[in-house]
Amino acid sequence: MSCRRLLITNNPFLSKNISCSLPVEGTSLDVLRITREHVHGGWAVLSSPLYGNLRPHQHPYRSVLIEKSESQSGEVDLLSLELIENALLIYTSQEFSILSSEGMPEEVREDFACIDAELMKETLERYRLFPRQGMEGRYL
Amino acid sequence: MKLELHRVKIHKLAWGKETSARDGLLTVNKEELLTMLRKDERLAKVDLDFASPGESVRILPVKDVVEPRYKMEGPGGVFPGMVSDVETVGEGKTLVLSGAAVVTTGKIVRFQEGIIDMKGPGAEYTPFSRTCNIVVILENTEDLDKHDYETACRMAGLKTAAYLARKCLGAAVDSVETYETPNLKDAMAAHEGLPKVAYLYMLQSQGLLHDTYLYGVDVKKILPTLLNPTEVMDGAIVSGNCVSACDKNNTYSHQNNPIIHQMFKRHGKDFNFLGCIVTNENVTLADKKRCSSYSINLAKTLGVDGLLISEEGFGNPDADLIMNCWKAERAGIKTTLLTDEYAGQDGASQSLADSTPEGDACVTAGNANEVVVLPPMDKVIGVPEEANVIAGGWQGSLAEDGTITVELQAILGATSELGFTKLGCYTI
Repeated sequence: MSCRRLLITNNPFLSKNISCSLPVEGTSLDVLRITREHVHGGWAVLSSPLYGNLRPHQHPYRSVLIEKSESQSGEVDLLSLELIENALLIYTSQEFSILSSEGMPEEVREDFACIDAELMKETLERYRLFPRQGMEGRYL
Repeated sequence: MKLELHRVKIHKLAWGKETSARDGLLTVNKEELLTMLRKDERLAKVDLDFASPGESVRILPVKDVVEPRYKMEGPGGVFPGMVSDVETVGEGKTLVLSGAAVVTTGKIVRFQEGIIDMKGPGAEYTPFSRTCNIVVILENTEDLDKHDYETACRMAGLKTAAYLARKCLGAAVDSVETYETPNLKDAMAAHEGLPKVAYLYMLQSQGLLHDTYLYGVDVKKILPTLLNPTEVMDGAIVSGNCVSACDKNNTYSHQNNPIIHQMFKRHGKDFNFLGCIVTNENVTLADKKRCSSYSINLAKTLGVDGLLISEEGFGNPDADLIMNCWKAERAGIKTTLLTDEYAGQDGASQSLADSTPEGDACVTAGNANEVVVLPPMDKVIGVPEEANVIAGGWQGSLAEDGTITVELQAILGATSELGFTKLGCYTI
C-alpha cells in the first residue's frame, strides 16, 4: 500500500490500528533512526519527534507521523532534519538507559501504549488517518 | 475589570456538623461532602482525609490541587465551563479560603502523578506542604474509560473546592486584595515612558492527561487569545494534567499564578502590564508553527516592547518555547523565558530539547532530575507502591521501610515553571 503519510511506530496498538503505519520491532531510538532515514529520503515530520514530559528512559514507545514531499526533487526538509537530529541527540546521550517494553507487565505496557496513542490521536485525526477500530478501550 | 479577592485565612482543619470557617479553623461536614461527590456514578469509591503542615503524612499519587474559591458577587461563577456556567469571570468579589487546598489522589494512568510530603526534606520542595489539605481519594468503577475517569477526578476536585468556599460565604474576612485592569484604550495611554509588557502563558495541551481547559474548552483546539489576568484568578484556566508532577501547572498554581501577581505589583512602576496571551503546546508541528506565529502577531498588534513567556512541562513543548522566543525577538520584542531543566542526575546533560541564540534571558526553576531521598512517613494517603512507577521514580524507588528515592520530577510543584515553587535564588 502506498501512503503519502506514514506513521513510524513501535507501539503495537497503533501499528495494529493505523493502516498507513511502518511497525518497528525495536526501541524508541530505533523509531527515531528510521524516521531520520525517511527525512533524508525527502519526507517531512508532521508531529514532533520528541515526547512531551517524559524522558527516553521513562517510556518504551515512540510514534512519529511523516509526510512524503509532493515535489520530485527529493529535497531534504531542513526543519524536519533539525528536529529529528535534536531528538536523536537527546536519545543517544541516554542510549543505555532507554526503556524497553520487553518483560514489562501487561498493565504497565497498556498504560504506556495508551499515553503514546493519546499523544498521537489529535495529529492522526488532523491528517485523516483514523484508526481501523475505535481508539477507546484496551490499548494492547 | 476590577476583582476583589476576599481572603479568609485557614490554618487548621476539623470534621464537624457544619462546613464553615471561623478563627482560622475550617470545619468540614464529611458526610455532606461525600454525598455530593458520590453522586458521580463513574466513581466506585470516594473518601476524604486531612493532611496538615508538619504532620508525618505522605500523599501519592496526587493528580491536582485546587484552592477553594467562590464568587460573592459576579458576574459568572468560579471554574467557568466546569462547575459554573460559561459566563466571563474576573470581575466582582471572590471568596478565597487562603491556606486551604483540595488535593485529589487516585491511580489513573500510572507514572504521571506526584508526591506531597507534609514533613521532612520532601516538604521543602513542594509548596503544598504549607497548605491545610483536604484530600479527596478516588477510585474508578471497573472498565471505566480513562478519559471519563480523568474527567471524574478533575470534576471532584473542582466541585469540592467550590463547595468548601460556598459554605463559608459570610465568614469574617481577614484581608481584601483588589486587582484592576483598564480597557485596552486606557491601558495603552497609561504610564507614558514605561515599556509595555505582556505575559505569554503557555498551556499544556498534548492529549489525555496532558490537557488544560480555558472556560471549559480544551486548549489544544484554540488559537492563541487575549485573557484578562483576573479571569485566571477566578478559575478560567483549569488543569486536566497528570504530566510530570514537578512542572505541571496544577489548578492551584494557575489560580495563584505568581507571574501575574508580580506583574501586577510592578505595573506602573517598572512597566505597563497589558495582560495575558494564552497559547497551547500541541504535538502537531503545524500547530506549533501556527500558534507561535499567531501569539507573536497578537503581541505585535498590542505593540508590546517585552514579553514574559512561561512554559509548561518539557520535551517537545521546549520547541514551542523556543519558537515563541525567536519569533518575538525577530519582531523586535524582548523576551524573558521561564522554564525548568532536565539536565540528568549529574546535571551534565543538555537542559532543554531545543535552543536559540535569541533566548538570552532565561530563568530556570531548577533541575528536575536532582535525586532526593524522602524518609518514611507515619501515614500514607493513597498508594505508596506508585513511587516505583511515577515519572521521576523507578522500580526500587520505594524501600521496604517506606523510604522513597526519587528525582525532583516526582514531587508536586518542585520546579514549577510559573515560579510557584520553594526553590529559588536569594541575594544575601
